[in-house]
Amino acid sequence: MNIIEVDHLKRIFKANIGIIRRKTKEVIAVDDISFEINPGELFGLLGPNGAGKTTTVKMLTTLLIPTSGTARIFDKDIVKDADDIRSQIGFIFGGERGLYWRLSGIDNLRYFATLYHVEPEVSKKRIPYLLELVGLSDRGKEKVEGYSRGMKQRLHIARTLLHDPEVLFLDEPTIGLDPVGARETRQVIRDLQEEKKTILLTTHYMFEADALCNRIAVINHGKIIALDTPEALKGHVQDLSVIEVEVYGVPPDTVERLKSFPFVDLVSVEDRDQKQALRVHSARGSEIIPDLLSALDGIRVGRVSVHEPTLEDAYVRLVGAAT
Amino acid sequence: MNKILNNSRLFFHGALLSYIALFHWLRPMTYLATKVVSPLFQILFFTLLGMYATGRENAHFYIIGNAIQVAALSGIYGVTFSISGDRWEGTLAYLFGTPANRLVLFVGRAFMHVIDGMFGIVIGLTWGALLLRLDLSKTDPVALALTIFITTLSTSGMGLLLGCMSLLTRNVMFINNTVYFLLLVFAGVNIPVSSLPLWMQPLSYALPMTRGIAAARAIIAGESLKSVAPLLNSELLLGGVYIFAGYLFFRWFEYQAKRRGTLEVM
Amino acid sequence: MIWRRFKENARVVLAAFELTVKQSFTDSFVLFGILVQPLIIAILGIWMLKERGGDYGIFVVVGSGMTGLWTNLVFMSGNSITEERWTGTLEFLVAQPTPIQWVIFGKNLASVLQSLLSMLGSYVLAALIFNLSLEMAHPFYFAISLILGVISFICFGLVIAPVFVMNPSVQRWQNSMEYPIYILCGFLFPIALLPGWTTPLSYLLSPYWAAHALHGASSGTLTFSEFALSWFMMLLFSAIYLVISQKLFRVMLRKARIDATLIGQ
Repeated sequence: MNIIEVDHLKRIFKANIGIIRRKTKEVIAVDDISFEINPGELFGLLGPNGAGKTTTVKMLTTLLIPTSGTARIFDKDIVKDADDIRSQIGFIFGGERGLYWRLSGIDNLRYFATLYHVEPEVSKKRIPYLLELVGLSDRGKEKVEGYSRGMKQRLHIARTLLHDPEVLFLDEPTIGLDPVGARETRQVIRDLQEEKKTILLTTHYMFEADALCNRIAVINHGKIIALDTPEALKGHVQDLSVIEVEVYGVPPDTVERLKSFPFVDLVSVEDRDQKQALRVHSARGSEIIPDLLSALDGIRVGRVSVHEPTLEDAYVRLVGAAT
Repeated sequence: MNKILNNSRLFFHGALLSYIALFHWLRPMTYLATKVVSPLFQILFFTLLGMYATGRENAHFYIIGNAIQVAALSGIYGVTFSISGDRWEGTLAYLFGTPANRLVLFVGRAFMHVIDGMFGIVIGLTWGALLLRLDLSKTDPVALALTIFITTLSTSGMGLLLGCMSLLTRNVMFINNTVYFLLLVFAGVNIPVSSLPLWMQPLSYALPMTRGIAAARAIIAGESLKSVAPLLNSELLLGGVYIFAGYLFFRWFEYQAKRRGTLEVM
Repeated sequence: MIWRRFKENARVVLAAFELTVKQSFTDSFVLFGILVQPLIIAILGIWMLKERGGDYGIFVVVGSGMTGLWTNLVFMSGNSITEERWTGTLEFLVAQPTPIQWVIFGKNLASVLQSLLSMLGSYVLAALIFNLSLEMAHPFYFAISLILGVISFICFGLVIAPVFVMNPSVQRWQNSMEYPIYILCGFLFPIALLPGWTTPLSYLLSPYWAAHALHGASSGTLTFSEFALSWFMMLLFSAIYLVISQKLFRVMLRKARIDATLIGQ
């Protein structure tokens, strides 16, 4: 049996725009998505900001009622059986909010343990264990306001494990963290995976999804545009090579012209300080370099290199194709 | 000449900006709630309490006192936030980096709040006339207007000083609220200064409003501007002292902040 | 099963209580509302009512204490849900398995009990600083009235908290909600001073009955049946508030899950 089953889930937001003449604008945040997650699986929901990841998580964690469609967790309906589901799931939203800053980390954990009906004897042992797990043992007695962003996010992870839920929803757990903090957080997620937790992880970092997830659903504009293992997703672009050209100031019309070349599959531009990296996808590999360079005539060009496609390229291709 | 022009532009620009910054959440209903309705009930409460304590015939004493005290809403809360707000938004460092005249910059922040405070008093007195039959027939309007202006000005002067002090603490609201309530006790709003214990009376005369309220009561009772002139002169002088003290504090804060590099942290 | 659920919910109430007390220790707003403002009102009352003479000391203690109870109810209980929204904890409170009513009940219990300090503070001030004689005519009736008053305040807190969080436009009037109640409920002067048409309004407010009974118990001016009426009214209003609040919480939770407006984006 699948632990999470999502069936044609859809969520529309009505937003009021205009102050004097009130108009309601409908925004489709999640547009008819379906997937299921197996026991013990780490399932990634990957997509750019505003793709509908958080809305999906909020519906699955019983915080939002879907406009249409259904979802079941442990075969219980997220709308009708919300109360039953709540005690069996845990969730975090990336960011620093959602903690009582004027209280210590331990006080925060104790409070939520009570809310989740964890017996006092149990939580007495569990809280130190969890602080250890997220690397906060020596800071637990300090007030949360003095914590770094990463520490707060790890405290959130400890909070959501208090009642030992089998299913976890981790919404952008590494957002805004420095590289060290993000690495530590990913290690905690790996540990949870070893404990056979079923995890839904959302992220907009490809390498994170690549490194952690068993399967990835790529979501854009509320729709799932691909759902597969990281390897299989990379397979979508395996026949292509990526030629990366460093340029200093490339005008948009040049990029458009490159895109129109028959041998060019996709062009993306990434800003790197004063220069940009042009990433050109093509099935013909290095042999197109001369053509590329002549198209870039008059523009200062730096290093040119040829790469194997990464998950990021697959993602860019998928998201680019969907727009 | 150019310098004066420059400074006056700085003054009004700062005044307007600080006002907009404070009321960027301003909606008609919020204004109505905080500046029109809320003062009404405060005036009513203390006037009724006063009437219960000393008799109906003394109602005017409490109405006038509490109506004038309304100016403290703008003079204290408004002015304080226009100064401390800069700190929270991190713009203080930029201000300290400009060559602008500090005194003009500083006093400009209070300007709109003085106007707002005067307006508040007028609303308060109107409530008094409408609901509590405050008799304004013997009042010299020019003298009253001048009294209102000077009282609001000196109260805002204290607001400037408090605002500067608020740069040192996180508990701006605590200090403001406390001062606001202390005015109700010690500025002759509800208790005649002469009824206070003797050793507390100097405190009353060190507070703004005390003389302004006394002057307003006299003018509404039919006295001339000339007879209250000494009260108003002292009120004005006191306001000047507060503004100057606030200004010195502001400069001191700027100096200390630059010396220690503590501009953005507590 | 029922026993277990009761135990779990009781633990939640206590935890929310503890959390609120711990947080308000360091909150200068709470300190101001519980001690500074009511004590300044007490000083004003003592000095102003001195003119009138009589046994004004205990009257001022009770009245200024009531202003403290009310002001803190409006701000602390009134914000008990809204502040969770500000800190971002409301989502977690909605999504945990205990009904959120218990959490808010625990928070209100803490804030109302804490604001009894206003009355205690006024008592100490009047007794020690002003050396007033503070005799209580019916201490036992006073205790009953105080307990029922506290219950009705907590129940009312459970009504205004969801109203505030659902209607920011109502919350903007929070600052204007202090004095009208001070006036209509006869905290520091009898409502006989007010025009007759306001009297029914006073009768509809449970703080009026609380102040009525407490003033009566301290001065000894009420008959037993008058006490009984006040107590009955407080209980009646508490029951009505509870029913209304249950409904409001249901609406609030449903609204939260449908509009997504209550718990941020």
